[in-house]
Amino acid sequence: MRRLLLPLIAIVSFSCQEEVFLPLENTEPIPVIEALWTDNPSINQVRVSYSKDYYDTASFEVEENAQVSIRNLRTGGQVNFRFNQETKKYVAERNISGTLGESYELSVKIGEKEYSSTGTILFPPLLDSIVYNFREERIFREEGYYLTVYGKIPFADDNNYRIRMVKNDTLLNSRFDYLLFDDTFGTNILDNGFELNGFPFKKNDKVRLELYRLNQDAFDYLNQLVGLLFNDGGLFSPPPQNPTSNIKVKSGGGQVLGYFMASPFLSETIIIDPGEAEEDE
Amino acid sequence: MKFLLPSLLIILCLAFNFSIAQEAKSLTGTVMDVEGNLPMPGANVYWESDPQKGVVTDLSGNFSIALVELPAKLIVSFIGFEPSIRVITTNDLQKELRFFLKAEALSLEEIIIRGRNPEDNIKGIELGKSSVPIETIKNIPALFGEVDILRSLQLLPGVQTAGEGTTGLFVRGGSADQNLIQLDGAPVYNPSHFFGFFSVFSPDALCGVEFYKGNIPANLGGRVSSVVDVSLREGNFEQIRGEGGIGSISSRLTVDGPLFSDKSSFIVSGRRTYADAFLRLSSNPDINQNDLYFYDLSGKFTFRAGEKDKISFSSYYGSDFLGISRQFGLGWNNFVTAFNWNRNISSNKFFDLNAYHSKYQYQVQFQDPQDGFNWTSRLSESGVRAEWTWLGPNNSVLKTGYQGQIYHFSPIVLETAPESDLDDLNTNPSTGVQNNLFVSVSGDIGQKLMVEAGLRLALYNEIGQGVIYTYAGGVPDREAEILDTLRFDRFQNMKGYQRFEPRISLRYLISPNLSFKSAFNRNHQFVQVASNSSAGLPIDRWIPAGTYIEPLRGDQTSVGFFQNLAEGKWEISVEGYYKDFRNVVDLRQGASVLFSDNVETELLSGQGYAYGLEFLVRKNIGKTTGWLGYTYSRTWRKIPGISLDQWYNPRFDRPHDVNLVLNHEFSKHWSAALTFVYTTGQAVTFPIGTYEVDSQKIPLYNDLRNTDRFPDYHRMDASVTWKGKDKGRKWRGSWNFSVYNLYGRKNPFTYQFTDIINDDFRFDQDSSVPVESVRPGVVMTYLFTFLPALTYNFKF
Repeated sequence: MRRLLLPLIAIVSFSCQEEVFLPLENTEPIPVIEALWTDNPSINQVRVSYSKDYYDTASFEVEENAQVSIRNLRTGGQVNFRFNQETKKYVAERNISGTLGESYELSVKIGEKEYSSTGTILFPPLLDSIVYNFREERIFREEGYYLTVYGKIPFADDNNYRIRMVKNDTLLNSRFDYLLFDDTFGTNILDNGFELNGFPFKKNDKVRLELYRLNQDAFDYLNQLVGLLFNDGGLFSPPPQNPTSNIKVKSGGGQVLGYFMASPFLSETIIIDPGEAEEDE
Repeated sequence: MKFLLPSLLIILCLAFNFSIAQEAKSLTGTVMDVEGNLPMPGANVYWESDPQKGVVTDLSGNFSIALVELPAKLIVSFIGFEPSIRVITTNDLQKELRFFLKAEALSLEEIIIRGRNPEDNIKGIELGKSSVPIETIKNIPALFGEVDILRSLQLLPGVQTAGEGTTGLFVRGGSADQNLIQLDGAPVYNPSHFFGFFSVFSPDALCGVEFYKGNIPANLGGRVSSVVDVSLREGNFEQIRGEGGIGSISSRLTVDGPLFSDKSSFIVSGRRTYADAFLRLSSNPDINQNDLYFYDLSGKFTFRAGEKDKISFSSYYGSDFLGISRQFGLGWNNFVTAFNWNRNISSNKFFDLNAYHSKYQYQVQFQDPQDGFNWTSRLSESGVRAEWTWLGPNNSVLKTGYQGQIYHFSPIVLETAPESDLDDLNTNPSTGVQNNLFVSVSGDIGQKLMVEAGLRLALYNEIGQGVIYTYAGGVPDREAEILDTLRFDRFQNMKGYQRFEPRISLRYLISPNLSFKSAFNRNHQFVQVASNSSAGLPIDRWIPAGTYIEPLRGDQTSVGFFQNLAEGKWEISVEGYYKDFRNVVDLRQGASVLFSDNVETELLSGQGYAYGLEFLVRKNIGKTTGWLGYTYSRTWRKIPGISLDQWYNPRFDRPHDVNLVLNHEFSKHWSAALTFVYTTGQAVTFPIGTYEVDSQKIPLYNDLRNTDRFPDYHRMDASVTWKGKDKGRKWRGSWNFSVYNLYGRKNPFTYQFTDIINDDFRFDQDSSVPVESVRPGVVMTYLFTFLPALTYNFKF
């Protein structure tokens, strides 16, 4: 709602904008850990970087010498990660992946400091099919082809989902591209098709849809992240705060940023073929 | 404290030697302003033969004065008006006496802010109270030329704003929901139009505003920071009259006059914006199918049933609507209605009855077969207040009464479209019943000391129909398992609170023109807004006290010195206060309260305090009138779970606040007004760095809240008014030209911390222009620089 109201207020209120320089305080670099652990080995990765001064134009510093591992809390089995110079991320040795239903502990050691987090790879919902339909332009919707996801959510709890879209091999990652949903509006959302309204496509677009089922703390982190991306610091926004990380400082003190997302991974790729699409009614 | 107050009340009663049963022989009457036919509070009434034993008219313009040997000359006077002198004989004792005062033919040296007796500043016991005459408010330069009561109150010491253009009041460290804003005794839950940029009160229909920010009397309560008591004007009893205006964004019309007989009158007032009318002139369907408007309708019927009774029925309806493409709509409205009965039981006994109903609701609707929805929410308060007043010797006054209130928060309903796979949402309703008993006694003790003591007992119960969730560990938390759901039938008691609210104040006359005043005031608030944004939104959720949410408490101690100079032409005051808040709520990070049935899991509760020193210099008489106010104040909150559990400043903590209001009458036809505002910038949180996560570049914030400041805010507004000739004309017109933000100060509304692409902060990332450079930057949004407005006002 706030996203809708703010532009309207701004338009009607004779607002003007200009770039300004504000003197801002700085702080020591804080480690940022971003870990994705799923049942699919190709996307599992851990990135360790550092924060920097706001006006600093240099790239974010990446930590290359961290000791990264993930341990199965039930079996005690541990997977070590190695740094990949090409992607600047840590990847699991021997391409090992997580197992559905298992809980894991992430450990990241940087020098004397150690950070950890836990998460469970929950069972995924059922994803039956994805179809697409052409929709004409209307309020809050551009003209284009829109995906509809069919499936079933059979769970009573832990219904926290994220959908990511990759269009023509490019991840859609603007602040408008976050699709997070829970069971606030029930669990029948996939039964008769869930049309993804925020994502218009053109013919011949190659689209990969990724569906994640998140633990509550990771879901909360992403929700707070989206809130922060839309926070303009104005009267109608809550005071800005860093999203609450689910990664804890185990030893060595200091702060840590980022999050650990353990999740099942569902993916489907389609190409928009106008001949197979239904017209808007 | 429980036993101290009743004892004190008894002692004071004895000290004042109340003679409640004793019927004094006296003369009663009413003093009216002949031009507006309005009652004149604060007028002096005295016998020529015994001027020392005069009385002052009450809020309804009524007076009662002990008889002397008749015939005798009675003098009725009010500063700026020609006195009325009448010989009273025994025959007059049977009549309903009315004295009509006529404004003096004003010379350039005697332009007067009316509606307030300058002596009140010294001799009155009120501390932290302001009476703002509607004439003064109308003279203040206004945003878009829209005269606004609440924005005018922001020019008083101790009142802060949330930001540019908004009408929310932040009084002595309190948040905007801590103000009881009432119209003829009925609360108005959302007193703003257009997301807070305009208040709901149309000025022509109003009589005036009583603003209590310090010692709130015992007969008023329910909010911890202030009471804004707005009165609808009574229609005149003589002839049909009207006034109105055609402005830049709205027009308004008010008509009043007698109804059926000279004992009853009416007033009807309306205002509407016309932005949507201009939108429809566009040939572009993207524009002409949009709606954007607000309107107000208010009316009051007054009936004088004999000499002793006055009955009035007033009502207000105000509505906002924002529509886009005939598919999306957001609307909200207030409906307020009040019944008032004022009875003069005898010359020294009065009875006032106020019954009211106030309703606020909003609706968000999106019409689409698959994604459409209809989201509605409604809250209401109904109440009755009965109040008895006895006037005794030595200026003593005893007031006692009862107020009953019922708050009802209807379920928040979100109905999805028929083809939608989303489930409908429906929260549980909640209802609160509050019974209040109040008593206050005031009077002179000796020549110099005046004391007022009051006690208000609030008995609050959350009642069914509703539910209480039982959480594991007994503490409501998002992660806590719900162990049980207790359902309560209609009217079944769910949770109760009993709270005493003592008030005590004194005034000591140091000299005839200098007084010292002090007061202690405790208030409880049983409903508050669950929000952590500074400005109110129409969809803000009010929550009642209950099992997990304790009532908010506010204690205020204040002192002040008040001095009049040059026979009341100048008033000077210095007031200091300290406030203590308990059970202040804020939201957890990432809280979602709009549709939650477990709001308690989204809230954090803590404490706060505020202190300040307020200076006011006011000139009431002369060709130049106005005031200069300066406030130094601080506000702090400490809420576990926020700002590392440390004390922090809310956004509206603005230590330095200067307000200058000037009116100057150049001639009978030309006048001008000027306001200047300077305040410390809002307390905010700026980034201390940046980092990257999930492919997003994110500002990094300090864990401590609001440790930074916007730049200082300042602004000057000015207006010029030209009035046509009045004499002999039925239609009298005037033009008002105003400029908001005269020197175009760019006061920040928001700062966005964002990447600047190609050195152009307006760069469109969807454009085909190649990206050549990216660097971090800050983009400031500001509103309203040099905003002129022209308004034509008329009377007939």
